[in-house]
Amino acid sequence: MSLFGTNTAFGSGGTGVFGSTTTDSHNPMKDVEVTSPPDDSISCLAFSPPTMPGNFLIGGSWANDVRCWEVQDNGQTVPKAQQMHTGPVLDVCWSDDGSKVFTASCDKTAKMWDLNSNQTIQIAQHEGPIRTIHWIKAPNYSCVMTGSWDKTLKFWDTRSPNPMMSLQMPERCYCADVVYPMAVVATAERGLIVYQLENQPSEFRRIESPLKHQHRCVAIFKDKQSKPTGFALGSIEGRVAIHYINPPNPAKDNFTFKCHRSNGTNTATPQDIYAVNAISFHPVHGTLATVGSDGRFSFWDKDARTKLKTSEQLDQPITACCFNSNGNIFAYASSYDWSKGHEYYNPQKKNYIFLRNAAEELKPRNKKW
Amino acid sequence: MGRKKKKQMKPWCWYCNRDFDDEKILIQHQKAKHFKCHICHKKLYTGPGLAIHCMQVHKETIDGVPNAIPGRTDIELEIYGMEGIPEKDMEERRRVLEQKTQENQKKKQQDDSDEDDDDEEAGPSFQQPATTVQPQAAYAPMTQPGMAPVPAPGMPHGSYSGMPPMMPGVPPMMPGMPPVMPGMPPGMMPMSGMMPPTHGMPPMMPGMPPGIPPPMGHHPGIPHMAQAPPATARPAVPATTVSTPQPSVSKPLFPSAGQVQQAASGVAVSSTAPPSAAPKPTFPAYTQSSATAPTNTSSTVAKPGTPVTSKPATLTTTSATSKLIHPDEDISLEELRAQLPRYQCKIPSAGQAHVTSPPVAPMGGVLPPQQGIPAQQPGVRHPMQGPYGAPPQGVPGYVPGGMPPYGQAPPMVPPYQAAPPRPAIGMRPPVMSPGGRY
Repeated sequence: MSLFGTNTAFGSGGTGVFGSTTTDSHNPMKDVEVTSPPDDSISCLAFSPPTMPGNFLIGGSWANDVRCWEVQDNGQTVPKAQQMHTGPVLDVCWSDDGSKVFTASCDKTAKMWDLNSNQTIQIAQHEGPIRTIHWIKAPNYSCVMTGSWDKTLKFWDTRSPNPMMSLQMPERCYCADVVYPMAVVATAERGLIVYQLENQPSEFRRIESPLKHQHRCVAIFKDKQSKPTGFALGSIEGRVAIHYINPPNPAKDNFTFKCHRSNGTNTATPQDIYAVNAISFHPVHGTLATVGSDGRFSFWDKDARTKLKTSEQLDQPITACCFNSNGNIFAYASSYDWSKGHEYYNPQKKNYIFLRNAAEELKPRNKKW
Repeated sequence: MGRKKKKQMKPWCWYCNRDFDDEKILIQHQKAKHFKCHICHKKLYTGPGLAIHCMQVHKETIDGVPNAIPGRTDIELEIYGMEGIPEKDMEERRRVLEQKTQENQKKKQQDDSDEDDDDEEAGPSFQQPATTVQPQAAYAPMTQPGMAPVPAPGMPHGSYSGMPPMMPGVPPMMPGMPPVMPGMPPGMMPMSGMMPPTHGMPPMMPGMPPGIPPPMGHHPGIPHMAQAPPATARPAVPATTVSTPQPSVSKPLFPSAGQVQQAASGVAVSSTAPPSAAPKPTFPAYTQSSATAPTNTSSTVAKPGTPVTSKPATLTTTSATSKLIHPDEDISLEELRAQLPRYQCKIPSAGQAHVTSPPVAPMGGVLPPQQGIPAQQPGVRHPMQGPYGAPPQGVPGYVPGGMPPYGQAPPMVPPYQAAPPRPAIGMRPPVMSPGGRY
């Protein structure tokens, strides 16, 4: 079934299970393929929050569309709805109650998509493409936070065309994450700013980057009491930094690790270093997943400082990933991320979203020390 | 906890046999006493590092490690903290310590006031007088088989910093390791973070006990995780070439070829970047490349008129041993991609000079390009002039390639090339007369 009007190469039926696929490098992990994937690179994925029953996946793409699938318990994926922007969609997020989806696009606008009515309205306007969008639910306010390449971070009450607040950033927003009451934004030129969101958003601290290369993705992690306590920052140089906001011993607690690199021990050929495209933390275990331009995903335990798993290599970079609300499903998107420039872009190549069972593989290692 | 790490004893300096509470203090001691250049007082990180520094910077050779006891002056041995200490010296040390503790115990039983014998280890080596008692007390349990009493009580730092040196980056990381750990020869240390690109490593490898190979299977993953504490104390070493690290920015170590060569261990250098750490010398190539921060292409997003060049993916960082798979520009992949005409937004907005429909297919039609073209080409009355004009009429300013003025060449070529054969061309020239030479 395909509710998506445009040419979906994939439209037949809702079956997502492809266990019998031969060793096709497009899905070496033999994970479930989401039906009717977008026609261009997938830029972002987001699962519905726990407040909603069931699992709904939202994916934004460079084909200017945002698609919604229902992921059923048997693994089947059912396309549900689609909305369009007039430019590539760079980020999506859900409201806390699961009734709305917010989408951010290169067309400098952000929209609120009411899933029940399947209507969208514009809720934000920037002077440059909007790169990140997050929903903030505070005890005394709720708003949408948008980060843009126009170097501003704006906060929007969805009912008003003017932002509630606009904060100037030193550089273009490249990635952000929000876990109330903390927000982290990583910008161009390796900028890194932490905001605190209590009462109203304000800049908390500018942090000297723990990484030496362009920032690409960031994800906040929580401590045992489910309070945000730090973040993982990924760069284009195959490296992730784990950084705590107020660690007892920064020199010891903060660290970086290398990832998404090729031939680690074979020195006959130069090592290829790939960008880390996205980082997601497992909502239950606190372990993290990274996906890279090398077409692999890896799971890590940051407390035991160990790698849990690395996947086989897909034939395309993995551009986005996310966990569902209970951590049972890991979704990752296989599409071209421009890491080798314009020449390697093949508009005919199919883009995929895969779903993997994440319940077991992300369990933390037992700490030995 | 309770893993038998720490080489079963408190950190001690191989060069002068002094004892320390903490490996960090040991390392500070080594840097200040043994790895300090006598000419410029620069503190290096290892003996070989010091030798290289003196040679390169001062053109002077040194014979041995300064302030070392006879027999321990080998400048070529790569020792850092507790890492790199030859096995036989470790054993010798252990024996000596055991003897001492036995003597202590005997003495205590006989005479509880005589502590002279302990001065060798306790006296000069403790920087904190208050702790002098500890080692003695700690040594008593040393005679017991378990290591646990020593590292565990009240020494979280010690045990932690002791961990990484144990195995090639393994201790915190190898779930299967604990049974193997105690068996690890101390010579295994050098793995995490000690890796100068050159020597130091090869000697380590052969020493891997047979018990290691199975767990080694984990290694491809292990080396990727670095740890802060050992790393703070353990910058990579080619200090001579990297003597100007930026002060407040810590540098993650770069997996140099030499380091990666440590075949089975896959010992990626522990890369750490605790923001507050002291500057670390890094692999020379990495340092050089990291110093290049190309900013000339910044804010290219604001320049839609720039011809989008289909330039091959170039590399921001290149070294003999690695390359970054990323276009060599200071903008993000999304910004780069968003510049392309096919991703320009459908509805023209104030700042948008390129307004074309993203898919190339509709370009075959004559009309759609009209929207964008007039804005880009001053003096052109008819958008069709360009494509048609180029080949047949040679209108000035339009090269057959026709692309640069448009700034959107690649996707537009096919439809335009299809245009000339059309019969409509024959009718065009009269229409195009205003600006042309007709």
